[in-house]
Amino acid sequence: MNPRTLALLCSLAAASPAAAADLPIFDAHVHYSHDAWEITPPPEAIAILRKAGLRRALVSSSGDAGTQRLVALAPDLVVPSLRPYRTRGELSTWVRDDTVVAFLEERLRNARYAAIGEFHLYGADADLPVPRRMVALAKQHKAVLHAHSDVDALERIYRQDPDARILWAHSGFDRPDMVRDMLRKHRNLWCDLAFRSEHGGGGKVPAEWRALFTEFPDRFMVGTDTFTPERWHYVVEHANWSRAWLADLPPALGERIAWRNGDALFAFWKPAAAQ
Amino acid sequence: MASARQLAAIALVAAAVPAIAQAPPPVTFTDAEVRRILSLGPWPPPPVVDPSNRVSGKAEAIAFGTRLFADPRLSTNGAIACTTCHQPGRAFTDGLPRAQGLARVDRNTPTVNDVGGQRWYGWDGAHDNLWAQSLRPLVDPREMGDGVAHVAAAVRTHGDLRERYVAVFGRPPPADDEVVAVDVAKALAAYQEVLATPRTPFDDFRDALARGDAAAMARYPQAAQRGLKTFVGAGNCTACHLGPRFTNGEFHDIGIPFFVEPGRVDPGRHAGIRRLGASRHTLTGPFNDDPVRAPGTSTRHVSLEHRNYGEFKVPGLRNVARTAPYMHNGSLATLRDVVRHYSDLPEDRLHADGERILKPLGLDRYGIDDLVAFLETLSAPLPRP
Repeated sequence: MNPRTLALLCSLAAASPAAAADLPIFDAHVHYSHDAWEITPPPEAIAILRKAGLRRALVSSSGDAGTQRLVALAPDLVVPSLRPYRTRGELSTWVRDDTVVAFLEERLRNARYAAIGEFHLYGADADLPVPRRMVALAKQHKAVLHAHSDVDALERIYRQDPDARILWAHSGFDRPDMVRDMLRKHRNLWCDLAFRSEHGGGGKVPAEWRALFTEFPDRFMVGTDTFTPERWHYVVEHANWSRAWLADLPPALGERIAWRNGDALFAFWKPAAAQ
Repeated sequence: MASARQLAAIALVAAAVPAIAQAPPPVTFTDAEVRRILSLGPWPPPPVVDPSNRVSGKAEAIAFGTRLFADPRLSTNGAIACTTCHQPGRAFTDGLPRAQGLARVDRNTPTVNDVGGQRWYGWDGAHDNLWAQSLRPLVDPREMGDGVAHVAAAVRTHGDLRERYVAVFGRPPPADDEVVAVDVAKALAAYQEVLATPRTPFDDFRDALARGDAAAMARYPQAAQRGLKTFVGAGNCTACHLGPRFTNGEFHDIGIPFFVEPGRVDPGRHAGIRRLGASRHTLTGPFNDDPVRAPGTSTRHVSLEHRNYGEFKVPGLRNVARTAPYMHNGSLATLRDVVRHYSDLPEDRLHADGERILKPLGLDRYGIDDLVAFLETLSAPLPRP
């Protein structure tokens, strides 16, 4: 362990935050990609997640080795998801890259995943052969699909597999009324709130979001979205920011969004040591 | 971009055929491009007077600020002045990637040319007025000081400073150190408000275009015209670098890494908004001299968002050829490096829904040359020695 890692771990241990003990968080949107693990090695990354008071974190990485390193260190904490990206640069090319299928199949043969994603998929691209195969693999392996998608792509996925369980990344960056329509239509749709601020800015939940959370108390969860290495240093702050606006909701509802919904969606996932 | 590449290709072909075909094709602009070009002027703009600063625009304050700007007695070690980093001979920058005051600072020294009349100040926008921005380095232990006391003491104890202070503010320095330090900052701001870049070859072209003077337009280099076409056209650079100052005055993540060192991040605008909210030296605070306080609207309504993490202010581009190195951390050494960055933009560093307007320009070497040529025309030619 290098001196910097040791120093960080010591400082994190010494500064165990009071807030972390208050409300556990299921962070449904964490990435640990190749450039992140080069800068923030796995022990540091796990220390950050624990300092943030995360109960569990849905982690996906480009490439998958980042997720595997974290799972190996903290199987109780990390819920692994398989991205169809070998590097972060494949975000807009994967849908037409046939080699992605072989990559997914190989990974699914050799490791267990609770989800496939986060992937970026829009409109008619969802019906291309590579995404179709991915949806089929998710069905075969009983994995949740973590989709950064528009409404059109979600509908196409549901037509391919009406029983698909989809975690809608960023709630599609859609307006609350659009999100409501989709949640009413699809009982197997959940939403993360990553990289959105309007539902909890200043620790206050606006009326339209409060109504949405109240109508669908079991469908939302929070997420940091560590899409660049720097954002690992935002995980703790994001968790505390989330606690602030969740405290503006009735306690039972806040607790659901904070962690119970994530726990429920991924209740089927058991860490390797517990199998 | 396609247009610029096509133009370059045509020029190459032209070079290989008889002399009559060697003249490069004239650059033409669409109506939309013309409108965008015209919106980048006129220059210079009207003088700025800051209503939140009661000495803004006053000759005695400008003169006092001019002296203070170069006075190392405002620093705790008596060796560092504003001009240490904002060097007049370097377009009020220092040529370093990251500033060096009493200690090394995390960010690149921005120019103070054309600094008046902005909505936000600093790479992180932690200040909503120029006098607060001017106070910050005076009280920052990494730059010049460790609080307001030494600034106030310098004014009280040095006769020449005290005399000028009285002349500008109409009273002796009061007992409250903070009041004295803010006054000093307001004199510094009054000086900086008058630091304007001169007209440039681009301004001559823009004005010729406005009046339909083809002969004057033809004096603007063809490469710069091609680069300008990219800038206002396919490159969509004016989405952020707009108006006569070439900036929207706001904040963006353009894919520049923002680790300061391993394990430490510069949160940029995210931290700036927090600092703004905690500051007494804002347009909503007690030191605003404007009884109306209308300009504080933006400060009252700014909200902290996740996307602000790693955002930095869009700099103006006037005199840009004189202000290397570039970006918030000085990580790009030359204008060519900057253009290459935008040409090869690392999309995977940008959030898919965070910075949708940014796309790699995909310039070839000729396109890069042209855009650099255009950017160089945003600086006035250096005077002959």
